[in-house]
Amino acid sequence: MSYFAGIDVGSLSSDAAIIGQDGDLKGWSVTETGPHSTNAAEAALDAALDMAGLTRDDLAFVVATGYGRAAVPLAGKKITEISCHALGAYALFPDVGTVIDIGGQDSKVIRLGEGGKVADFVMNDKCAAGTGRFLEVMAAKLGVGLDDLGRLSLAAQGEVSISSVCTVFAESEVVSLVAKNHPIDQVIKGLHRSVVNRVAAMTGNIGITPRVIMSGGVAKNAGVVALMAERLGVDIAVPQEPQIVGALGAALMAVRAAL
Amino acid sequence: MSPSELISRGEYFSQWRGGGGQVCAVFPAQYPRELLWAHGVLPMEVWDPPLAPARAQGHLQPYICSVVRQGLELFLAGGLDDVGAILFPHTCDSLQNLASLVEDYLDPPAPSLFFYNPKAPFAAAAKGFYVAQLQTLERELTRVFGPQPPEGMARALEWSRRLSELYAQAYSRRAAGELGVGAAEFYRVLRGGEYMHPRDYIPLLEGWLASAPANGGGQGQGIILSGVLPSPPDLLETLDELGFRVVHDDLISMSRRLLYPPPGEGDPYEALAESFLSMPPCSTRGSSLSERLEWLKGLARAGGAQGVVFSVVKFCEPELFDLPELRRGLKEAGLPSLVLEVDVNQEVGGQAATRLEAFGEMLS
Repeated sequence: MSYFAGIDVGSLSSDAAIIGQDGDLKGWSVTETGPHSTNAAEAALDAALDMAGLTRDDLAFVVATGYGRAAVPLAGKKITEISCHALGAYALFPDVGTVIDIGGQDSKVIRLGEGGKVADFVMNDKCAAGTGRFLEVMAAKLGVGLDDLGRLSLAAQGEVSISSVCTVFAESEVVSLVAKNHPIDQVIKGLHRSVVNRVAAMTGNIGITPRVIMSGGVAKNAGVVALMAERLGVDIAVPQEPQIVGALGAALMAVRAAL
Repeated sequence: MSPSELISRGEYFSQWRGGGGQVCAVFPAQYPRELLWAHGVLPMEVWDPPLAPARAQGHLQPYICSVVRQGLELFLAGGLDDVGAILFPHTCDSLQNLASLVEDYLDPPAPSLFFYNPKAPFAAAAKGFYVAQLQTLERELTRVFGPQPPEGMARALEWSRRLSELYAQAYSRRAAGELGVGAAEFYRVLRGGEYMHPRDYIPLLEGWLASAPANGGGQGQGIILSGVLPSPPDLLETLDELGFRVVHDDLISMSRRLLYPPPGEGDPYEALAESFLSMPPCSTRGSSLSERLEWLKGLARAGGAQGVVFSVVKFCEPELFDLPELRRGLKEAGLPSLVLEVDVNQEVGGQAATRLEAFGEMLS
């Protein structure tokens, strides 16, 4: 049997997915990208192959995606993460209309057309506001683990307003708020709100079509997901492993490319 | 002619000045270049000088576009010290303010000249107003550079007509897929007209059109490139690398002011006014949204474009005000669009390149 791999080299994590010709997920991985994209891609692929009990020789075709896609020599084709997230989300939720992907370095809203094809999309500019990097910087400033942000935000009894969307200015603002003894959980909820407002503003350009799916590392943050659903007025579904949606889409692209 | 034979703006300027020629620096966008040619003066257009913004930051608010910022930087760096005059067409508020800043506070080394274009919708008086502006500018040019030589205007109009033919030929061949060059080469060559005298530029353009391959350009998705100017250069290179086929443009610095009926016979001022009033619709000339939208749709239809890429200079108010409605109208017409906000001479960057690539995937 032939197997296909998708590798998503992001700014923070490199993720891989291995599927069979029928699209069944055989193995996956989420690893740190670190300073070397090629090594990160190979490490992610090998970890996913390990889970699937396969070797590189079993692969018929590999597609790379993500910002580091150009640095994956073993990939037969490179496709943008926008197309791959759309197809990956469609495979997991065939009724998906919109994908909101918030990754480490960028955030994007993708409206899907027929068969998981991109109908329209919008992506942030160079600014880190509204991305995972923003939350990472703030979590470090607050001395809170990234994994704890969602829990703390959901438990907050109030919310502190963060007026700046700029990572640099927001960091200064957070320092001031902490100095005034504002509860940390309320500051975190305010930070989440600023990310949500930033990304929700992007949706205005293309509109939201239910069903809405969130992918990317920030989708693991239940606090952000809850605020996003509230802000957009829709239910939001999150895949079991939201970080591999792009890699899964790339693997599905690999099947198409090999045919 | 090979594009590599096209010498840079700075080299051409030095050669022209070395030969004793007079130069008038011209800020964007529309101006009667024929009047300057008639006086034997070289118009040297200032769109995107490749300088790191430094001194200009001290004179401008952060929300002023990079065209104005880079132009002021060139002025402050002494890049306009050797010109005979500086012409400021009234294109937008920011350029109008730049003119005031330079004239009132920065002690320009050469006289400042001003040119006020009428704004659409053009009333019956617009032609007369334009002619009066031409006459005023003519008096100013005579004061600064001396009177026109005999036959100066007649020669200038001949050059203008010939250039119009050549620009039209370049654009129509490209739209028909009969000009096998990428966007980077196309705009590098056509931008030669921003700083070369027609006496030198026309033979170059003729040679390039004669030697350019009839096919072999991008084979990918056809797009219309809209915005202010074909810059930064790596945007064009990225479009070429991704296989896009720019079938036409709707750029202020290019087709919106180059593709118009050439001045006809008869009174030269009347002829120049008629040409100006017949230019394609443009945000800086006050054209209506419906006119701009129909124009864009027409360009797309004629060239078989599948989408529109708006490469908008950040903080360019005339362009940005029109953008949402244009995009909505294009979408209703089945033409997807992508917006990239750029600073002139700043690299496009990975995220913008990804957006372009994804746009291509979406169109495929």
